[in-house]
Amino acid sequence: MALTRVELENFTAFRSLQLDLSPGINVLVGANGTGKTHLMKVCYAGCEASRSPVDDFARKLAAVFLPSGHRLKRLVRRESGADGKATIRICRGSLTLEQSFASRPRLVSLRPSTFASDEPEPEIGEWGHEPVESVYIPVKEMLSNAPGFRSLYAKREIHFEETYRDVLDRAYLPALRGPTDERREGLLTGLQKAVGGRVLVENEEFFLRSEEGEIEFSLLAEGVRKLALLWLLIRNGTLPSGSVLFWDEPETNLNPKLFGVVVNTLLELQRADVQEFLATHDYVILKELDLRTTTADQVAFHALYRQEETGDVVCGSARSYRSIAPNTIADTFADLYDRETKRSLRGLAG
Amino acid sequence: MTFTEGNLEIDIADAVGGRRFEDQHGLSHCMKAVDLVVELPDRYLYIELKDPQHPRATPKSRGEFIEELLSGRLDEALKYKHRYSFLYEWASGRADKPVDYLVLIALNTLDEAHLVTRTEALSRALPQRGPDGQPWQRDIVGGCGVFNLESWTRSFPDYPASRLVAPGQRDGGAR
Repeated sequence: MALTRVELENFTAFRSLQLDLSPGINVLVGANGTGKTHLMKVCYAGCEASRSPVDDFARKLAAVFLPSGHRLKRLVRRESGADGKATIRICRGSLTLEQSFASRPRLVSLRPSTFASDEPEPEIGEWGHEPVESVYIPVKEMLSNAPGFRSLYAKREIHFEETYRDVLDRAYLPALRGPTDERREGLLTGLQKAVGGRVLVENEEFFLRSEEGEIEFSLLAEGVRKLALLWLLIRNGTLPSGSVLFWDEPETNLNPKLFGVVVNTLLELQRADVQEFLATHDYVILKELDLRTTTADQVAFHALYRQEETGDVVCGSARSYRSIAPNTIADTFADLYDRETKRSLRGLAG
Repeated sequence: MTFTEGNLEIDIADAVGGRRFEDQHGLSHCMKAVDLVVELPDRYLYIELKDPQHPRATPKSRGEFIEELLSGRLDEALKYKHRYSFLYEWASGRADKPVDYLVLIALNTLDEAHLVTRTEALSRALPQRGPDGQPWQRDIVGGCGVFNLESWTRSFPDYPASRLVAPGQRDGGAR
């Protein structure tokens, strides 16, 4: 079942946030520093916590946020003071995963396997009865740096968010047995056309097999690698119905001409019951979604912004692009437009 | 002075002259033309008005307009409307002030990103600069801009533009 709600209290940028989630696509927009990535990482950690009794929520939170010394207390909102306490609550229908941790923990440890939390660890049991498959695509592309990374990550304390290791784990999965369903086959064909070939893995190294031969990923444009990753994840069954995809700034290093392919893929996956979270700063991504969405699609736009009076991060949700408020991306265009008009019309425009 | 074109009305208080142009210049068989030519103390305004949400507009005509807009055909048409209007006015001895070209598209789905794009496209279609990007000795066109009703009102608070009949209302027949 899809994530239905997330509540954050005194967690990183958030004093108090309650957000109802769409079972389809959740688009997070907002200025830098309003917590879009944090929101996605919390939800991702929650999904991961459902899959393994060992891989508990607190450990995953520390691994994806990388607070100094893996101390969760550093994720307590700083303005809440020395006695502050952060609480995270994630819901999937009637199932709830809750975790609290305080600024002043009784236990302090530098090891990632034990945690600086003075609260009882959450009851993963019921949450884990219905494990959620999920994948988090970070902003920076990792496939070209993949060879040897996972073994290095497993052996050494290197300062990388675990999302990078996780996405490589997913990318390396071999293709599923049996035929791919028609919808996904169509998506694979579209992505293949956009990247110019199929992806193959040899000795942990990714290649694009195109008409020109096999090309190492390090020689491909970063935008092409991103689409190739999407191709891999669909091809190897990482995104089945009921799974959750998190994608931080899909637009990064991608030519806007390819945004249509990306958005079409995301909409089709949503139609195949994949829940999605996108954080974006890009007008074209939003507009492609606006133009390609049908009435049957489930898309929610969540605009994170700071309240002028208090500075608190709050969220306004909308069902359509035009209803997003505030829309910092549109505001930027409006500002550009007004200045362009003033310059062009030499004092005529006010 | 108040100018009306179809369902749109613009009030330009400091106009010292002006007229509906496209349907009254008498050479429509060989010269395209903008809807309005307005004379201000320091410049001429060539104004083209588009109203795809006119109460009598059909879904088909609205769709055709949007297709024209997105395909670039509208920029082509706007280019020729300006060119022939300028030529006509020049030949009539009325090219004594700079010309600004304003296009008002009364379509509420045009957001600012569209308007920036459309203004740039129009600007590229017009000979604002001479050869090698150098200024002309005499400008053919000064500035240009594409507006919706909201951005027109914001840019020209002294030149209010409005619909005579709001979209969705019946206008009681042809005007």
